[in-house]
Amino acid sequence: MQTKLKALALAGGLALGAAPALAQDKVVKIGFAEDFTKVYTFVTSEYNQGQRDYLSYVNAKGGVAGHTFQANVVDTGNEPQRGIEAYERFKTEGVVLMDFLSTPVSRAIVPRALKEGQNVLTMFHGRSDAADGTTFPTIFPAGALYWSQAAVIIKYIADQEKGALKGKKVALVGIDSPFGKEPLPVFQAVAEKEGFELQTFFYPSPGNEQSSSWTAVRRFAPDWVVIWGAGGGQTVSLRDAIRNGVKLDKMLSVIWLSETDTEIAGKDAAKGVLRFEGVAQGKDHPLIKGIVDEVVSKGKGAGPAEKVGSSYYNIGVASMAIAVEGARIGLEKFGAPLTPDKLKKGLEEVKDFSAQGLMPSITLTAADHQGGGKGRVSQWDGAKWTPKTDWYAAYQDIVMGLVKKNAEEFKKSN
Amino acid sequence: MDLFFELAELSISGALVGLMYTLIALGIVLVFKASGVANLAQGAMAMVGAYLTWACLTLAGAPLWVAIPLGVFAMFFVGRGIERVALRRMIGQPAIMVIMLTLGLEIMLRGLLPALFGPVKKRLDIGIDAAPIIIGPMLIDRAYLVSGAVALILIVLAVLYFNTRQGVMLRAVSDDQPASWSVGISVERAIGISWGLAGIAAAAGGVLWGSIQGVDWTLSLLLIKALAVAILGGLDSILGVLVAGLILGVLENVAPVYLERFGVSGTRDVVASLVILATVIFKPYGLFGREEIERV
Repeated sequence: MQTKLKALALAGGLALGAAPALAQDKVVKIGFAEDFTKVYTFVTSEYNQGQRDYLSYVNAKGGVAGHTFQANVVDTGNEPQRGIEAYERFKTEGVVLMDFLSTPVSRAIVPRALKEGQNVLTMFHGRSDAADGTTFPTIFPAGALYWSQAAVIIKYIADQEKGALKGKKVALVGIDSPFGKEPLPVFQAVAEKEGFELQTFFYPSPGNEQSSSWTAVRRFAPDWVVIWGAGGGQTVSLRDAIRNGVKLDKMLSVIWLSETDTEIAGKDAAKGVLRFEGVAQGKDHPLIKGIVDEVVSKGKGAGPAEKVGSSYYNIGVASMAIAVEGARIGLEKFGAPLTPDKLKKGLEEVKDFSAQGLMPSITLTAADHQGGGKGRVSQWDGAKWTPKTDWYAAYQDIVMGLVKKNAEEFKKSN
Repeated sequence: MDLFFELAELSISGALVGLMYTLIALGIVLVFKASGVANLAQGAMAMVGAYLTWACLTLAGAPLWVAIPLGVFAMFFVGRGIERVALRRMIGQPAIMVIMLTLGLEIMLRGLLPALFGPVKKRLDIGIDAAPIIIGPMLIDRAYLVSGAVALILIVLAVLYFNTRQGVMLRAVSDDQPASWSVGISVERAIGISWGLAGIAAAAGGVLWGSIQGVDWTLSLLLIKALAVAILGGLDSILGVLVAGLILGVLENVAPVYLERFGVSGTRDVVASLVILATVIFKPYGLFGREEIERV
């Protein structure tokens, strides 16, 4: 029940299976200050459930280098000031890695975290230029940036058109916010390079009503449509696209389109829609099976069992798999206790890590905090998301050029 | 699609959306007419109505024809309950305190319902076919058409209701509370009924919107649109909110499309804000609101 989750969030912290006898310095604390109650509710509960279940799984398997993991959970309601409060609290609690799962909250935290050497995980959200580890040494996107997601999507379109993008029309329909406009530089740069016609259609947040945007989209008669929103706006986009006769197998979404959205729009009606995928969905995976056996089936799961294996649950698992791998390297190479700096160094040595195939392999370095920018395209078949491609990265020259340019600008202004 | 058909499609779609705004704004007008209080909890009441209907349909397994009336009429009692428990205690307090109370209710309900039912958006299928109606080069959204029609029927029923005996009683209370008391009308009961009716209007609007966008806390954001409609139409005029709903719906559907072609994006919400500002500055009682003249 969600109330249980909320109670946990309000309670402020939760030890995950840590034996009481363990010494305090043998516990690695990870802070989750996420939005359980406002804008990102569509993703947070499942994402955080996956994160905590994974940490419980690691603890059940004996931890890492004699250490167990503890999740400190706070609800920010997507408010930057509450995020900052949580950040300050986490510091005093000895947290070594924080996840805010919110672009506005993360952006508010970044300058402090950089100044104070605190690690922040921004997997699949936050500012794209944080991939530049020299400018953002303690910020870890550790997955495909929004810019890389846009690049993967455009490459898919190019492949379907057999490389002939010249003269094709692409409509980018997104939420009118920094997040919605984040992919624009990549779309514009690739449009110029490949010669396709790009037109943008932005709807106001939160996207409850988009009918006029979709009338304009239909008038534009695009060959391909890309939707760039999150939460309720995505459901409405999907619904309006269907009603406006957009062919769903010619419509792709940013990562934030899940089975919850297709269910609301109608499971059958949404058949064919495509999305960027950064982490595999489903339970048929060794890591997820391990969580089911060791945690969920023993009644120690952090949320409803039916959510295990959902798109956002698995993203949460993947995020913690990277964090734990970084902690393992940090502890083994630099010794206990694990400090934020040791974890940072550990994360920067994560190499060819794919969480047993749950996600594309990523390699982080001190200079590159993205790790390759790979993803794949999957398609809704009426019941689940089916991969349409292998993991791949695209246009990384353009993406990393933008990362460098924007990171330079950040450096100058800070 | 040439410019004419594009404009026509945008206008029709906007008008239908406007009718749905009107339905929620109707609740604000009903409460204001009876008690002189601007009900800032109306958006959250729409959300509660949608959640209750979803709960009847999905959790209790009631059929659609039972779930919708049950959800909508449950809101009549929720509305009355709010008035009885919270608002009646505020009699004699400054108007600003009462308005703040309704704002507090809005914020509380916005957090409470997702906490009770879970934060994930709920599907509310009220059986409207997804296929659009195509008229030549124009496309009319069936869900908007049905919702607009339902909204129009409910607004007409509200107008008719005000000509019934109970409606006349409400109008009397709205005109002059002390005089109503003096002729034996229960002002408290009248205000309670107006809150109940506001609950019905909110729930109907919430269900219609919820069927389109899913049910979650964002339904409560309809308050801003409803306020814009109520202010433009006149806080005490049912005819006013109908006209204002159509104006706002068409304006905010048409203007952004053309402005965006000049590189100006994100104007849809600006339209509602501009309507509120312009009305308050240039026509404070709205298009059809009754001007109050006080003897000094």
